[in-house]
Amino acid sequence: MAAEAIAIALTVSPGIAVAGVPGAEQAPTVIPSHERGAAEQTQRRMNDAELIREAQRGNQAAFEELVRQYDGPVLRLAYHMTRSEQDAQDIYQEAFLKAYRNIGSFRFECSFYTWIYRIVTNLCLDHLRKRQVRKEDSGVVTDSDGETFDMLDQVADVRPGASPEKDLMRRELGSRIAKVLEKLTPRERMVFEMKHYQGLKLRTIGEILNTTEETAKNTLFRGTQKLRAALRGVR
Amino acid sequence: MNCEWVRQNVTLYLYGELADDAQHELEQHVARCQTCAAELAEQREFQEQMSALPVEEPTASFLAASRMRLQEALEHEHPQRAWYQRLAFDPTAWLRQVRFSPALAMVIFMVGFGGGLGAMYQSMRHNPGTPQPENINWQAIGGVTAIEKDPATNEVKVQYDRVAPGTVQGRVSDPKVQDLLLYAAKSNENSGVRLSSVDALAEKTDDPRVRETLTYALRYDSNPGVRLHSLEGLAAYVKDDIRVRNAVLESLLNDSNLGVRSGALHALEPVKADSSVRMALEQLAKDDPSDYMRGESKRLLAAMPTVY
Repeated sequence: MAAEAIAIALTVSPGIAVAGVPGAEQAPTVIPSHERGAAEQTQRRMNDAELIREAQRGNQAAFEELVRQYDGPVLRLAYHMTRSEQDAQDIYQEAFLKAYRNIGSFRFECSFYTWIYRIVTNLCLDHLRKRQVRKEDSGVVTDSDGETFDMLDQVADVRPGASPEKDLMRRELGSRIAKVLEKLTPRERMVFEMKHYQGLKLRTIGEILNTTEETAKNTLFRGTQKLRAALRGVR
Repeated sequence: MNCEWVRQNVTLYLYGELADDAQHELEQHVARCQTCAAELAEQREFQEQMSALPVEEPTASFLAASRMRLQEALEHEHPQRAWYQRLAFDPTAWLRQVRFSPALAMVIFMVGFGGGLGAMYQSMRHNPGTPQPENINWQAIGGVTAIEKDPATNEVKVQYDRVAPGTVQGRVSDPKVQDLLLYAAKSNENSGVRLSSVDALAEKTDDPRVRETLTYALRYDSNPGVRLHSLEGLAAYVKDDIRVRNAVLESLLNDSNLGVRSGALHALEPVKADSSVRMALEQLAKDDPSDYMRGESKRLLAAMPTVY
């Protein structure tokens, strides 16, 4: 039997219904506001479990729905880590292809969230290690005249209230921070990224990196100390 | 609690990772220890500085481009299947193996020969007169090959492949016919069959299962004709079914075909006052590459009552 064509359309708003997954929708129930957070989390977990089971049975629409639920944060993480659209897209692509190929071996021992982040962080770590070997500074590129410039310097601040002076300062500082982050080991960089920039809990970070919360804390502390020292050095 | 403990934990404190009691103790300590207060201030400043490297949400077009690239790759993928599924559904993989295994070839030949005899015997016993809806063994279906609608009787004939081809005939409301139509709309290789199926189903859009299938076709079918016909079937439900409205909105913004997008625009006209639709129209009126879509969006927006 031929595989169904998979098409992934852009999500316009959150909460769009699952298409093509029988039984994936639940009847609406009234939940008191103070219980809503936990209830939504449980609901999400249940929906995920159903989608995963469907995907394991070969329902590609269900896998596609999983992609749509998680791919925004995945792309944001990969893009912030690599600072390159091309590299971020490669990591995104590889992560979801790996998930697709291995969905059959998903045993519900962790959430799909942890699982997909584990795949993505491993790919990001590989990327960082390769970059360290190449000693490549991703922010600095050479233009056609042989002049080097920092790509971050080219990003204009379009936020309301941004003045050109503030914008310049912000860009200079941003560029300096990107260089300082290169001082971290790939693992320290990853923990710092997930905590500081992506706002994940250390317990989740530990789980994603297949380690304990305590180790994640220590790695974060070490990374932070290195960064503070490095920032003092470039002031 | 001592100064060294505070130094070790000030990072966790600022990230909200300390337990409530430890957080309280740290605050008490910092209030009376200048060295630790300075350490806290320095760490806070450091975290603010690090935030100068902004985390940007991927733009809609970047996300869409990434999804399209993934979609292409997924189309060439097959999930890891169990051996019995490969046996049942992937004859080409078997044929590749046959080249290297004469014994296997013999087994396949014998099974094939026996199966062929069985099928012939069955077809001889079966009266090929007017086919009646029968219990469908889904595992044995190879695909729907043709769908015909008789305008005189309003019946639909669905032809599908099993070990031997089968035919089912009845009204769209007949559950067995409907099941086959729903199946064909989602999984058929032949876009003509998908189109006929979507057309036949369009008369039963009061059934949520049918709307779900048409929504699926609108979002994912590779053929613009199938998407357009699904859209036509769904148009009556943009008001009452939020999932239909969302799918039509997605098509309006992202469908690769201008005809489908313009169909979606007109289908959404009755709900143009809806905030999500208005936002989409404003976006299109501002920067859609198509003159037609920009103009039509502006026209719909202009006809809208101003909200004070």
